[in-house]
Amino acid sequence: MEDRPLEYDYTIAKLFMYSTIVLGIVGMLVGVILAWEMAFPAVNTMLGEGLAEYTNFSRLRPLHTDAVIFGFTLSGIWATWYYVGQRVLKVSMAESPFLMFLGKLHFTLYMVGVVLIVGSLLMGITTSKEYAEFEWPIDIAIVIIWVIWGMGLFGLIGIRREKSLYISIWYYIATFLGIAMLYIFNNLAIPTYFASDGIGAWYHSVSMYSGTNDAIVQWWYGHNAVAFGFTVPIVAMIYYFLPKESGQAVYSYKLSILSFWGLMFVYIWAGGHHLLFSTVPDWMQTMGSVFSIVLILPSWGSAINMLLTMKGEWQQVAESPLIKFMILASTFYLFSTLEGPIQAIKSVNALAHFTDWIVGHVHDGVLGWVAFMIMAALFHMAPRVFKRKIYSKSLMNTQFWIQTLGVILYFTSMWIAGITQGMMWRAHDEFGNLAYSFIDTVTVLHPYYTIRAVGGTLYLVGMFIFAYNMFKTMTSSERVDESELQNATPMGA
Amino acid sequence: MFHWLEKNPFFFAVAVFLTIAFAGLVEILPNFAQQSQPTVGTKPYSTLELAGRHVYIKNSCNACHSQLVRPFKAETDRYGHYSMSGEYAYDRPFLWGSKRTGPDLMRVGNYRTTDWHENHMKDPAGVVPGSIMPAYRWMFTNLADIDTAYAEQITVKNVFAVPYNKPLPMKDGSKEVVKLADSLSGAHASALAEAKLVVADMNDKNVKEMVNNGQIPEIVAIIAYMNSLK
Amino acid sequence: MDIATLQAYGYFFLTGFLVVVLYAYIYHLYTRRKSNAGIDYEEYSNIALDDDISATPIEKNEKREVQ
Repeated sequence: MEDRPLEYDYTIAKLFMYSTIVLGIVGMLVGVILAWEMAFPAVNTMLGEGLAEYTNFSRLRPLHTDAVIFGFTLSGIWATWYYVGQRVLKVSMAESPFLMFLGKLHFTLYMVGVVLIVGSLLMGITTSKEYAEFEWPIDIAIVIIWVIWGMGLFGLIGIRREKSLYISIWYYIATFLGIAMLYIFNNLAIPTYFASDGIGAWYHSVSMYSGTNDAIVQWWYGHNAVAFGFTVPIVAMIYYFLPKESGQAVYSYKLSILSFWGLMFVYIWAGGHHLLFSTVPDWMQTMGSVFSIVLILPSWGSAINMLLTMKGEWQQVAESPLIKFMILASTFYLFSTLEGPIQAIKSVNALAHFTDWIVGHVHDGVLGWVAFMIMAALFHMAPRVFKRKIYSKSLMNTQFWIQTLGVILYFTSMWIAGITQGMMWRAHDEFGNLAYSFIDTVTVLHPYYTIRAVGGTLYLVGMFIFAYNMFKTMTSSERVDESELQNATPMGA
Repeated sequence: MFHWLEKNPFFFAVAVFLTIAFAGLVEILPNFAQQSQPTVGTKPYSTLELAGRHVYIKNSCNACHSQLVRPFKAETDRYGHYSMSGEYAYDRPFLWGSKRTGPDLMRVGNYRTTDWHENHMKDPAGVVPGSIMPAYRWMFTNLADIDTAYAEQITVKNVFAVPYNKPLPMKDGSKEVVKLADSLSGAHASALAEAKLVVADMNDKNVKEMVNNGQIPEIVAIIAYMNSLK
Repeated sequence: MDIATLQAYGYFFLTGFLVVVLYAYIYHLYTRRKSNAGIDYEEYSNIALDDDISATPIEKNEKREVQ
């Protein structure tokens, strides 16, 4: 080791790259199955009556959301952390055997957690709280995994050469702290087995909060799991990968600092917009609404900062599919952070809440912004990690257009479905009676559910192309030299 | 002054944490000081109802059905009186849901009957043509977990002082007591007695036979739960 | 005063205070332009561009021995 020059060590980043790809396909595959089930209910029993319990919509639905959030996205966050972290701190994982051990432990325990979660959700072991479905033993495992990541995170920061923390590191730190706080408080529960001296299922627990209070805590968590899982760490990624790939410095570092503090302060408040017209106190609903509108400012601060980073270099968008992915991601970020606040306005929410428009909003954010950014990050990392060119540029382009079409079909059909259903629910006839029975508002959605399923399927096809391209890049693509890896990622035809 | 933070990860983390935690401290904590008071007529769940609630959760019914009637004419016309905070006092966890692929179930006990549910859970589209709800036939054979429901009852009674065995005011001015059994076998006996009342209105021969043999299938528990939603 | 009133006052003044802090911070950033270490803020974006392990840090971490 002594005579070799020091290099960044991507052992752990690699492991998380694999899990990003695999869990991404799993999560989206389950999503596509769900979409087809909504369009054609016969799909619910596709593996026969005997297995219907495990293939029906309601049992699979938490598996879809959790596989995408805690599988795909979290893996992506960690893959990029173990890559970006070293580089902007100018310190190698190889310099600390302890951090390396923590990293391996982190990945191993994470894999154990994934298996436990998939198994328990399929068996129907759930607390019912969205994105917090896991029972207490898994919650404890998740907290341990999180703490190990935290030790690795602050450990690496502790031995850094670059004294000032780059903006991406700020966002990773915020992800760590935010999720830790939210997750623990939302999942506080009492295991009934121990509280009743050993009766019933050992893993079952009952929430610390009841009714309205439980709802407040859950959506304080639920909304901000989106904030600190789907926004903050993804911004961390784009603040590193877009400048690095394009060779352009961030448009304004000062603006990035301001948006950071703004986002940190404002985001949590907005959770109340999930509870408009419910039984939570009115002032809390109003705060949720108001702060959701205020949230446009820090969100757009980051989004515009990203787009302006490309100032004078827009030809790169046409030339490089990798830049295309990132620019489309920031554009979707721009639009979904406008769409969200619009839905949080009380009068709009009265129409949109409980409908497919909300589902559409989540998916233009996650498919358009989160997944595009994570895939772009992996594309940028792969040649540096595996020392090979991206296998095929034209496959990247194909994937880009297929998936973009998929997202567009997805959100347009869900917009129409949501608004149609919302309008039909509230329609009254000339005598003041309800104009439609509930089932009318379901059957009318069939074409939109079908279009959505097609859109989702296209996106999944793109994921398979992505996986194939990455697999080839890892195994058989042309080798590259360190000197070719400064900015624009080398790609084969 | 500020830049100092950016070079000191510990204090930076503290500053970020305070910024994030601020909203929760102001918004959530004070509300907890005011304990949510049950409305008149709201009762804790019986053993069988709670077991049914667990079946509801196990199958993520809340993924498609809300339990929250918003204060709009269209919703009160369709589902009944809008929801009030106190009605949820014994709901751990809350089951408001976030999507209405199917209708709201907050007061489904007011307008659907045992045999309607029985037929509907077996074949939703047969009862409601065009329905996209999947059938839940395994509920007719899987057994409800009475033990866990009883364990949860004991837990909420001891930890959160849920008023089992106490007279509670009803809307008509009477008092009602929800009994909690002293022992596990007592809980089974009372759940079975309740199950027999439900099964009396059902047609499925297997289910009737199971209950006669002292077994409670999931379908009986979930119907008991849905009938209690009023 | 009940808790709701206290909450409302606390809320109002804290929000006002934080708005002042935010604007003071913006003013500070844009007039000083440079950090205490005398480095222009925009220089920090080079941390991402110039990220080889052998590259010279913008600000060296003194606690860390130079290898």
